[in-house]
Amino acid sequence: MQTGPLFRLESLTKRYPGVTALDDLTVEVPRGLVGLVGANGAGKTTMFRLMLGLARPSEGRLEVCGVDVAADPIEVRSRLGYMPEHECLPLDQTAADVVATFGELSGLPARDARQRASDILDLVGLDEARFRPISGFSTGMRQRTKLAQALVGDPELVLLDEPTAGLDPVGREEMLALVARLGTFGISVLMATHLLDDVQQVCDHVLMIDGGHLVVSGATESLLERTGVVTVDVGSGRDALVAGLAGLGLTARVVDDLVDVTIDGDDDLDRVRDLVADLGLPLHRLTTRSTSLDEVFLRRAGESS
Amino acid sequence: MQPGALGGGGGAVYDRGYRPYEGPRGRRGAATLALFKASVRRALGLRRSWRQKVAPFTLLAVVTMPAIVNIGVGYVTRDQLTDRIEIITYRDYVGVSSALLLFIAIVAPDVICPDRRQRVLPLMFSRPLVGIDYVAAKVGAIVAILFAFSFIPQMILFIGNMLVSDSALDYFTGHLDVLWKVPLAVLVLSVHYAVIGVAIASLTDRRIVAGASVIGLFLVTSIASGVLVGDFQAGEGSAAALINVLALPLYLRDVIFLGNIDPRSPLGGVANGGLLALVEFLAVVALGLTVLWRRYRWTEH
Repeated sequence: MQTGPLFRLESLTKRYPGVTALDDLTVEVPRGLVGLVGANGAGKTTMFRLMLGLARPSEGRLEVCGVDVAADPIEVRSRLGYMPEHECLPLDQTAADVVATFGELSGLPARDARQRASDILDLVGLDEARFRPISGFSTGMRQRTKLAQALVGDPELVLLDEPTAGLDPVGREEMLALVARLGTFGISVLMATHLLDDVQQVCDHVLMIDGGHLVVSGATESLLERTGVVTVDVGSGRDALVAGLAGLGLTARVVDDLVDVTIDGDDDLDRVRDLVADLGLPLHRLTTRSTSLDEVFLRRAGESS
Repeated sequence: MQPGALGGGGGAVYDRGYRPYEGPRGRRGAATLALFKASVRRALGLRRSWRQKVAPFTLLAVVTMPAIVNIGVGYVTRDQLTDRIEIITYRDYVGVSSALLLFIAIVAPDVICPDRRQRVLPLMFSRPLVGIDYVAAKVGAIVAILFAFSFIPQMILFIGNMLVSDSALDYFTGHLDVLWKVPLAVLVLSVHYAVIGVAIASLTDRRIVAGASVIGLFLVTSIASGVLVGDFQAGEGSAAALINVLALPLYLRDVIFLGNIDPRSPLGGVANGGLLALVEFLAVVALGLTVLWRRYRWTEH
């Protein structure tokens, strides 16, 4: 089991002529499933290039999986897997050949690389298609092949750049399920995306950047603040519940067949529960509504600009 | 049901999950070797459709033909008292076939251009690999194939001549110099053509443009050299012959086999012609490698 932070940035700055892609980022991110969130041009791709040692910081320092990238980029790359957003597969080769070749390029002996290619393609759901040329693959199958080549070298950390881009809703759900499984295999993930729903669904830590600046970094749960509203599902008895809550002095309204109740502390929550019981209503669900990551991003980005 | 098994009844689908890799793991050397092998496979059409195998193996057949014919003639005339009939010498056999030129024009772009066109390079350079490794693997693959396709027919010729000669041992001991001259001359030729072919192919992502450019360079310099040198008597060649990058390795071949430039060649009689050819060869290779290094200097600063 690997220990220590996943990566650590110290005053990391990257400037290109006329533009500062990353500006004085200092943050330490734990191992696990991490979302790298930002709008297009926020600096996500630059961050990946710096982590892979394909670009050098203008200032500051970057440590990935305990290795100083500037000191030993080859060692860092041997620990990482990378899945780019764009098309990047040799179309005239089979998935098995491509993934095995990238396994060898990751340093695995040829025999092991072929065996792992077979295993990984099985894992991503391409076991039956692995001997077909990639040119005949759908977008979803190509995304899975890209994920497979990133995993074949058994990385400590896999960098995923917009892994659900171009996928239909079913394909997106399947890709997110695959990403979520990586965490159970002990593989850390840094998933760059502008789809905050994807991050909220999969990641246990979020790093938000905007215009090269760090907006916020923290555990996903801790960022999802409570709104002071609870949602109650009592089936057809919702109107009776709303009337009863009004009698208790609580504000409530029906939204999409559910009852939203504004509360002020746990005492109010107890009163809602007791009223449901007194009215003899079935309590199917009672949840605290949290802010979405979209709301967190917009608010924090607004505060920092 | 065992953990990880899905489904019931008569059968079950097992989710094998993920197994970490705990075996040996190489670094730059292993990655470079892997890319070299993948490039050789691609150039030879291995693990590809039969159409991709036509060009390389047709070339091998074409370049082997003179050796077969020479051995056949030697066998048929083995009992005649006159001198042995030799259709082609080992020196002439180096670079004898223009099929090699065609091969370079087809294979070098095929090994280089798709990596850039299909945007595979970011995947490669996310591995423990740097630009010099990539260049070494790609040039090395083309050199290896050219060397093999030029050397194998020569060895067939050597072994065949040995077998049809009156005394195989005498033939072997009498032609020991061939065993170092041929590989050296073939290596020079292979490096020269490979570096030029790969360097030109690296400048575009379109295979047809790269192939036409390779042939164009060889043809244009060949014609220009022919015009500038014009008609000449043996030993009265011109330094303008050095413009011909297609023939450059053949001048060095002469130096290796004869110890000097063949007087009958367009460079014959030019003072220090061999040295000039060597300097130009080194300059061309250095220029080609510099172009490649700059094209694949993937890490920005």
